[in-house]
Amino acid sequence: MPISEQGYRHWEGTLIGRRRPWAPITRLGIKLAFKRKYFKFVLGVSLLPALIFTVGIYISEKIEDFKFMIRGRNRFLTVDPAYFKAYFTGDFLLFMMVMIMVLAGAGLIADDLKHNSLQLYFARPLRKRDYLLGKLGVVSFFLLLQTLVPGLLFFLLKLIFSGSFKFFTQYPRIPLAVVLDSLLLIVFFGLYTLVLSSLGRNRRFVSILIFLVYLFSDIFFGVFYGIFHLPAFCLLSLKADLQQVGAALFGVPGPYEFPWMYSALVLAGLSAAAVFVLLRKINSVEVIK
Amino acid sequence: MPFVFNYDSREFADGQAQAGMNIELKDIHFSYGSVKALDGVDLSIGEGACGLLGPNGAGKSTLLRILLGFLRPDRGEGRILGRDILHDQFAIRRLVGYMPEDDCLIPGLDAVAFTAYFGELSGMPRQEAMKRAHDVLFYVGLGEARYRLLETYSAGMKQRIKLAQALVHDPKLLFLDEPTSNLDPQGRSEVLELIKDISSRKDIQVLISSHILSDIEFTCSNVVILNKGRIAAQGEIQALKQVDYSLYEMRIKGEAETFIRALRESGCRVEETEEGLLKVYMPPDLRRDGLFRIAARENIQIRHFVQSRTSLEDLFAKTVGVD
Repeated sequence: MPISEQGYRHWEGTLIGRRRPWAPITRLGIKLAFKRKYFKFVLGVSLLPALIFTVGIYISEKIEDFKFMIRGRNRFLTVDPAYFKAYFTGDFLLFMMVMIMVLAGAGLIADDLKHNSLQLYFARPLRKRDYLLGKLGVVSFFLLLQTLVPGLLFFLLKLIFSGSFKFFTQYPRIPLAVVLDSLLLIVFFGLYTLVLSSLGRNRRFVSILIFLVYLFSDIFFGVFYGIFHLPAFCLLSLKADLQQVGAALFGVPGPYEFPWMYSALVLAGLSAAAVFVLLRKINSVEVIK
Repeated sequence: MPFVFNYDSREFADGQAQAGMNIELKDIHFSYGSVKALDGVDLSIGEGACGLLGPNGAGKSTLLRILLGFLRPDRGEGRILGRDILHDQFAIRRLVGYMPEDDCLIPGLDAVAFTAYFGELSGMPRQEAMKRAHDVLFYVGLGEARYRLLETYSAGMKQRIKLAQALVHDPKLLFLDEPTSNLDPQGRSEVLELIKDISSRKDIQVLISSHILSDIEFTCSNVVILNKGRIAAQGEIQALKQVDYSLYEMRIKGEAETFIRALRESGCRVEETEEGLLKVYMPPDLRRDGLFRIAARENIQIRHFVQSRTSLEDLFAKTVGVD
């Protein structure tokens, strides 16, 4: 491995100040996620609900053609805010989001901690904010594919299949609710993933943590709810909190008889705590030992 | 006069910057709680390569942290390439390349993607960063291995890739933290040649923090020795080695302890090696024949007496007060 015999040569270009210095971090994170084993498969599976709901929208408009299949169960094919809410707060979709976080998000910060790369980032003209936004961008990209993109697509397809704007005039708040619920899921799951990723140096440990915290919060809710029969225990479950707030955004009753504002406060509190921890953990002072 | 920096022409001008000085620190203080890490550091480093030496806990890492803008000093001020270390950290990081001591990598990336990535983060356009990554990888000797995943690299190759990422955006100032650690003798000499080549260019300043004094002596013309948070010595190595003492090596027959005590009483600093060799640092006011008089007085036979050339090790030992 001989050292090049030519001497050091200067670069003739000019360094530029980026408006989005976090963009290369996001781009690399997405690229690396696709290199992970099983990731494409899991991403594909996570898009299945979107496919099924799209088919549902098509059938709802061609209901006469599918009478032989429906046999009186057409209440499932009424496209209204509850239909969108059913997609956005569905157990399977939320579970698949967690699986995407496990595969694409667990190592986002943990790998940098393990391989001492933080010092390389912060020796560049990057702020802590840029670094975290870049990492959050990776999570956001995949969650957008599962939330905002299909949500808006459903709405557009409904308009296209129906051939009129009646649906829009009937339910004008749906696009806004789609955007807001997507933002809620992206911000919450993004911060949830990043904070857990910053707590360990081992990707596997973080993966397990992401999965178990989500799962056990729901198990605890189930246990306490089973014993005390109090819906207030839904606050313990991350899934239930997301479902409560999601339902409220679409203007339909939540799954639990408890004010959704409390769930919103829990999610806001957890997100604020995550930001606090992240700002403390990702510290450029520790970049040189 | 406002600060003007023209990166392309590699010139900087600033009314307050001292001519030719790339790093200037004045009265820098920094404490970790009650522990003083830097205690009034004044530093001026000009062109060429400069070694940063000091025992553990001397404040080298803290000084590097401050130079990179990671830490804000409690007191004092400084300029790097004419930029204020307190207010222009971003501009400084754009102009500085940093090669850390620890192994750093991003798993799943090959060397080209890794190097180009950090070039892009430094502000290079994407395509340019990719082209430049190939160039620097050839330069550091990783041309053939540039498409291999970083996880498969040997320790020596990891050291080179760290140098490549530090060079990719063509910095004006290069901070190298233990650049030859983990290297075999051949790899070490190759990396030292690289550093020498880089620092031989008048427009790239290299600051090397290392424990290997011979590396510093090989690559640097200047040295800064830190001890207990203060600058213990600073300047050109050759000039510092022309110190105000003479070093003699001697072997003796007789009661060594009393002789050493007598030498110390007369102002000499004495070290005894494992092979029984005495290294005597003589103060300027003591003449060489004074040593023989002391030996005669203490009934000591001097069997071997050689004036030794002062090395950087000697300078370091004398400055810091360790063997």
